[in-house]
Amino acid sequence: MNGMKQIIKKELNRVFTDKKLIVSLFILPAVLVVGMYFFIGKMQTAMIDDIENHISSVYIQNEPEGFRDIVEISGFSANIQYMNEKEDVTEIKNGILNGTTDLLVVFEDDFLNKVENYNAGGNIPDVKTFYNPSEEYSGTARNNFLTQVLGIYQQQLLIERFGDLSQLTAFTIDAGPEESEIVDNEKATGKIAGTLLPYFITLMLFSGAMSLGVDAITGEKERGTMASMLLTPLKRKEIVLGKLFSLSILSSLSAAIYAIAMIISIPALLKNLTGGDQEGFNLSFTPVQMIELLAIMLSLVFLYVSIVSLAAVLARTAKEAATFVSPLMIIVMLAGMITMFTGNGVRQLITYAIPVYGSAISIQDLLVGELSLAKFGLTIGGTIAVALILVALIVRAFNSEKVMFNA
Amino acid sequence: MIEIKNLTKVYKLSKKQMQERKTKNNFKKAADSVSLSANKGELYGLLGPNGAGKTTILRCVATLLQPTEGEITVCGFDTVKEPENVRKSIAFLTNEIKLDPQFSPKFMFHFFGKLHGMDDSTINKRREMLFGYFGINDFQDKKINELSTGMKQKASIAVSLVHDPEVIIFDEPTNGLDIVTARSVTDYLKKMKEEGKLVIVSTHIMSEAEKLCDRIGIIISGQKVAEGTLPELLTQTGTNDLEDAFFELYKEHNVEEA
Ligand SMILES: Nc1ncnc2c1ncn2[C@@H]1O[C@H](COP(=O)(O)OP(=O)(O)OP(=O)(O)O)[C@@H](O)[C@H]1O
Ligand SMILES: [Mg+2]
Repeated sequence: MNGMKQIIKKELNRVFTDKKLIVSLFILPAVLVVGMYFFIGKMQTAMIDDIENHISSVYIQNEPEGFRDIVEISGFSANIQYMNEKEDVTEIKNGILNGTTDLLVVFEDDFLNKVENYNAGGNIPDVKTFYNPSEEYSGTARNNFLTQVLGIYQQQLLIERFGDLSQLTAFTIDAGPEESEIVDNEKATGKIAGTLLPYFITLMLFSGAMSLGVDAITGEKERGTMASMLLTPLKRKEIVLGKLFSLSILSSLSAAIYAIAMIISIPALLKNLTGGDQEGFNLSFTPVQMIELLAIMLSLVFLYVSIVSLAAVLARTAKEAATFVSPLMIIVMLAGMITMFTGNGVRQLITYAIPVYGSAISIQDLLVGELSLAKFGLTIGGTIAVALILVALIVRAFNSEKVMFNA
Repeated sequence: MIEIKNLTKVYKLSKKQMQERKTKNNFKKAADSVSLSANKGELYGLLGPNGAGKTTILRCVATLLQPTEGEITVCGFDTVKEPENVRKSIAFLTNEIKLDPQFSPKFMFHFFGKLHGMDDSTINKRREMLFGYFGINDFQDKKINELSTGMKQKASIAVSLVHDPEVIIFDEPTNGLDIVTARSVTDYLKKMKEEGKLVIVSTHIMSEAEKLCDRIGIIISGQKVAEGTLPELLTQTGTNDLEDAFFELYKEHNVEEA
């Protein structure tokens, strides 16, 4: 076992004394993830701010008496032009189509009179709003105008007609002080995270293992440095395990850095997605959950490292290794993605033993607090079992002169 | 110390290799019933042209390849049944096996010492001795990929000897070295022999074989066609120097492949 320790030490040394490797393996990915999320966040905020700051240009034709005061006190802010019924609106409609004008509001002739003299069954006077739903500014201007101005105006006219509006209300919905949304905030958050996180985790772990594994195994074979190790009295198994463990340590580390970068930047992203309401976002784990998550991820890392290593040892050149590993990566991505679409339905227990897929649904269950010990055990067991089979195959490959020396 | 009995090594060729070699055979017999034995205190040389099978034979001895037929023992250990024990007792140097370019000679020396189960103080003593002898101290902390060919070769030689092995197998050890450095290597090999170790080298340089080796085995097309001390070889072939002797044997045994 001493030999294994020495190999692990050397592999870690190789990475940590190489500034370029440190940057490309650990620093650059973290910067990229954080940068990307902040960029997406910034873009979204900028878009929302832009719409909020935009001063709408609104035309109101033939407004009834007293309507200007209503607009004045409503808080609806826009650049408003009033016009009489004779003026031509073709230009304005063109403006709405081009996006230079946001809204045109047209009141029926003799609007107020018609409202006041309304009899049951008679004609209801109409307000027409011309807008362009494909323009963010226009849509927002109309929405605001409806809720802030027309809604209030209608209420006011109805009060004039009936006195007390309560008569018109048969019942209310969810009006009491008691919160009617019965939702476990943690579970709600877990659901969002549960669809995305397993996918990202499997993907990040795999890509970490991929770049490192190909260099540490195929690269060494190509450079002729592997053979010098095969000349020492170490058993092949020790060399293989030394390689696999050092790769696992390094990929876990790079995955951890990705994860931290994501945890730092996810709130910034979610703030915009949930409209600034961060209350619902609190991912907290119990110690048991944390240990389970760690165990699932570590077993997964070991499995990925074994998959990549087997491909890497069988390949003759780094290029060949890349062509072996790419399809495997797509399979891993699909397995992770399945969880994004299937949701948390009831699953057969045995499916948890399927490598990669099982880990992904386990992480998903864990995030919503539904991971039983049986599911957890099957996940870990299935993953380790397959990894061990792969390790045995790698050792066989290391013993094969065809594979190691192309002989 | 080394006993090779009827060693035959057949490489299977892939379709691509067959095309490259313009051959219809899907195998290549690189060593053909080679038998030889060499003992401690001896410097044995394998002499042969390019592609004769020297490296193949030595790789089999070093446990990297398995004989297709026949068997090999090193210090009494079978290379197939007890490869770990064989590897403990040999140093093997060949130009396709290299040191990790990102590390220094000092780091590599220590690393391989550790893999051979040595403790730090023994490793340091060996390093002072070997690095001193080969003049590696000046560049022992530089990365190997920053060294010249000769420096790399010297570092490889020193590292391969870290565990003070009983049997030293060097495949073309002076390849790429200038005469000064080459001489220091051959001198060291003689010294090892005098200390009672078995040294086996391969070469295609006649003068080197002449001056260095106690016994020479001549390999042509995978077969050992002659063996003996220099005078024995000269009488066998009726010639005056090794080069003439070699050409006599070459004319007789170099069969064009079908
Ligand atoms: N991995 C391999 N696969 C197939 N054929 C091989 C392989 N290695 C060597 N050979 C062939 O076996 C024969 C012997 O090669 P070997 O390397 O043992 O020769 P050598 O005597 O060391 O030559 P040199 O002096 O050029 O180093 C050659 O024909 C070579 O092409
Ligand atoms: Mg050779």
